[in-house]
Amino acid sequence: MTETFTCGDHGALMSYLYDECSLAERRVISAHVAICGACAEELTALGATREQLATWTPPDAQLGFRIVSEVPRSEVPRSNVLRPLTARWWQRPMPAWAQAAAAALIFTTGVGLGMLRGVDRGPLSSSADPSGPRTAPVTRADLVALEQRLRSEVSNTRAASAPAAATPADQRILQQVRAMIDDSEQRQRRELALRTTEMVRDFDAQRNDDLARIERTLGQMDGTTGVEVAQQRQMLNYLMRVSQRGQ
Amino acid sequence: MTLTDDELVARSMGGDAESFNQLILRWERPIYALAYRVIGREEDARDVCQETFLRAFRALPGFKGQAKFSSWLYRIALNLCRDWIRRQRRAPVMQMPEGVEPGDLVAESGPVESIEDLVGRRQLSAVVEEAMALLPEEQRTAIILKEYHGMTFQEIADMQGCPLSTVKTRLYQGLTVLRRHLEKNGQLTPQLVKRS
Repeated sequence: MTETFTCGDHGALMSYLYDECSLAERRVISAHVAICGACAEELTALGATREQLATWTPPDAQLGFRIVSEVPRSEVPRSNVLRPLTARWWQRPMPAWAQAAAAALIFTTGVGLGMLRGVDRGPLSSSADPSGPRTAPVTRADLVALEQRLRSEVSNTRAASAPAAATPADQRILQQVRAMIDDSEQRQRRELALRTTEMVRDFDAQRNDDLARIERTLGQMDGTTGVEVAQQRQMLNYLMRVSQRGQ
Repeated sequence: MTLTDDELVARSMGGDAESFNQLILRWERPIYALAYRVIGREEDARDVCQETFLRAFRALPGFKGQAKFSSWLYRIALNLCRDWIRRQRRAPVMQMPEGVEPGDLVAESGPVESIEDLVGRRQLSAVVEEAMALLPEEQRTAIILKEYHGMTFQEIADMQGCPLSTVKTRLYQGLTVLRRHLEKNGQLTPQLVKRS
């Protein structure tokens, strides 16, 4: 390739574009590009494409991985430390057979207890008084005592649910929450500004498109009208000529 | 005193985990960027990056130093990316980037760049990412290694296990597809590509 360069030698073009060729090759390709419009245009376009590629940046990610023999919890973020997926026996999911066995055991125990109670209750229920148990009559004093008890319970409940004086820790948490809310509001405001700008841009682009389309249509209409006027003029000229000949 | 990669590797092989951590610190950003550009998803790229260093750490006793440490890392990362792509074969290889917080973008851009500029840059970046997603994996990887990691044709050929000429063809074909896509989306105007 060092002596000549022919159009369509993409490999050589790439070497030239990325500056990975010898000086002699570079000279040959430069000389060709100076006289070949197609190759020159292609090189310029590929160079421009490379410039555009530079705009693509990956989003910032929280990395900071570390290899640690023992995990100092305070230093390394949890997400950056790999741990084997081992769980305690009670955290592990139970196999299906064990679940079925447990269900059967619970069911059997329940049935057994129910039967026992039924047996115990049988003779008792048969000997019970059909009119039901007798209750002592409620007196006015009982009702007053009940009312007083209820009132005292309600007042106790109210006192328990009343807000306690805020401790310094609570105040700190409150401040943090407020700071978070402020931060969130600020973020939303920024996002709103960004979205608004995007919308304005889209709107402008659409408006420009519409204007261009209207202009094109008007141009076409102008052209059509012009043709019609020319035809009418031709017709008039023809009629004039015919009428003059007739005279 | 800054130690070279080779020196840090030697110390790591001697059992010094801190030296390996220095290597991680040095290479985690490029490896993450490579993974993100190849697979296109932030969280998965982070996972690939983490797994790359874990594998490298485990395989360190077998590292003979025939290649550069960075090339070795890149190869591990690319293999992991390839595995990821294979697993995602049913879904599109690359998707639009996950919701990047516009607020964060504004915050990180600083006060110099206006919101107008920021939106323009973001749109262009999205078009480039979209165009890259159109490329076959080999072409995309070749372009990423060349454009963003400054590798030579030979290094890419070694990495991809193909002849030098194939690398050049992949680059040419990939760039041509990108050029057409950018022109179609108005990011590369005909005036710009015409020679003055």
